[in-house]
Amino acid sequence: MSFDWASVVAALPSLLEGLQLTILIALTGLAGGVCLGILTGVALAHGGFLARNAAHAYVAVIRGTPIVVQVMFVYFALPMLLGLRLSATSAAIITIVFNSGAYNAEIVRGALQSVPRGLSEAALSMGLPFRSVLAYVVAPIAYRLALPAMGNQVVNVVKDTSIFLVIGVGELTRRGQEVMAETFRAVEIWTAVAALYLILITVLAYSLRLYERWARLP
Amino acid sequence: MSDALIVFERTRKAFGEHVVLEAVDLTIGRGDIAVVVGPSGSGKSTLLRCVNGLEPISGGDLRVDGISVRGPERDLRRIRLEAGMVFQQFHLFPHLTALQNVMFGLVRVRRRPKAEARERATSLLHKVGLGSRMGHYPSQLSGGQQQRVAIARSLALEPKIMLFDEPTSALDPELRQEVLKVMQAVAQTGMTMVVVTHEMGFAERVGSRLIFMEAGRIVHDGEPGRLLREPPSERFRDFLSHVR
Ligand SMILES: Nc1ncnc2c1ncn2[C@@H]1O[C@H](COP(=O)(O)OP(=O)(O)OP(=O)(O)O)[C@@H](O)[C@H]1O
Ligand SMILES: [Mg+2]
Repeated sequence: MSFDWASVVAALPSLLEGLQLTILIALTGLAGGVCLGILTGVALAHGGFLARNAAHAYVAVIRGTPIVVQVMFVYFALPMLLGLRLSATSAAIITIVFNSGAYNAEIVRGALQSVPRGLSEAALSMGLPFRSVLAYVVAPIAYRLALPAMGNQVVNVVKDTSIFLVIGVGELTRRGQEVMAETFRAVEIWTAVAALYLILITVLAYSLRLYERWARLP
Repeated sequence: MSDALIVFERTRKAFGEHVVLEAVDLTIGRGDIAVVVGPSGSGKSTLLRCVNGLEPISGGDLRVDGISVRGPERDLRRIRLEAGMVFQQFHLFPHLTALQNVMFGLVRVRRRPKAEARERATSLLHKVGLGSRMGHYPSQLSGGQQQRVAIARSLALEPKIMLFDEPTSALDPELRQEVLKVMQAVAQTGMTMVVVTHEMGFAERVGSRLIFMEAGRIVHDGEPGRLLREPPSERFRDFLSHVR
């Protein structure tokens, strides 16, 4: 059996469309997940009784359930509970935001807690309110500590988007499946799909590495 | 009694069951240079940290320039503006240059314009002998240089009181003098200082009072030269023989 390049070329427009959607879901998911992760992480590390426990519960639920079940719940169960309609893509984005938000929260909490206590005390002892200590001293140090782990999260989020084929989102993996069903060129199609993921993830991971190096303190 | 800047009144501090300060009565007056000494674990750091509210007190009262540390958060911040603190481990902000470290309080706490803050920080760094190191990050400075930046950072807020917790203990012996010299210069400006240290030379040369603590109590409190020449107790003589 020979590798049929023509079938790859024929599939490419469809796969690239899928890649676009994968990128859209991954980037919105990352942006939303980082915001939610910061809020939840701060609540975990410094929140009052209520905020802290709410954050704990949220993280426990996400970590304790498979992402496939999460997206099924958001797509099929949530609309029934709330009486609204959700497109498959919206359901995917909501799921990835809440899913990665929980993992980011643990990273943020860990980073906040690894900032030496003495630095906060030095800032506090200058008469700075606690909020400002967090904003101007703890945050700039913590975010650098969090960058390497965040890099892994970026990779995970991109890969996790492929799960959304179960609710029919036309992202890259789903498109691969569709083309496959028409042409039966399994080797060519799955090689192409894998290569596209690899390129996307490599570019993202490398950019992050560059940024990490740029942000590093002397 | 407007000349009493720090007043401990039967101040008690406990961590759980463990009593660290037992009903301390102590008054530090304006311009005093009080040097606090004592064995490890006697409560010297805790005594300092209670003054600026880094540790909440468990009983009695403690007032700084008339403001009680038991007051609301707003009062604590007023106290902290009046009482700067210098730590054994420096605790400079690693993401800021020496200059930015010294500007930090002026900009973020006193809300001064950047240009004014820069001017004042520059002049302070010159005063502590670091005019040529302003753009360096803490990791690019020696311990002695870092500690001098930390002192400048506290002075920038124009406090009435400076609290020093073993400022030279983390330094190699040859770097201690440069820090002690800066502290002596600060003392000569009339600053009120409470200094926890093992530097008996500094106590004798610069101190106006020497306070000996043991097990959460103040055992001796007097003129440094005299206490050091004629140790009034066996315990103190014993302690001195260990640090000298
Ligand atoms: N946060 C804390 N929680 C519990 N115990 C503490 C805490 N901080 C200090 N202690 C205890 O309080 C006692 C006094 O501590 P402190 O640090 O004030 O002593 P010190 O005189 O400064 O000692 P050193 O010379 O070693 O610095 C010690 O027994 C210490 O273990
Ligand atoms: Mg101590």
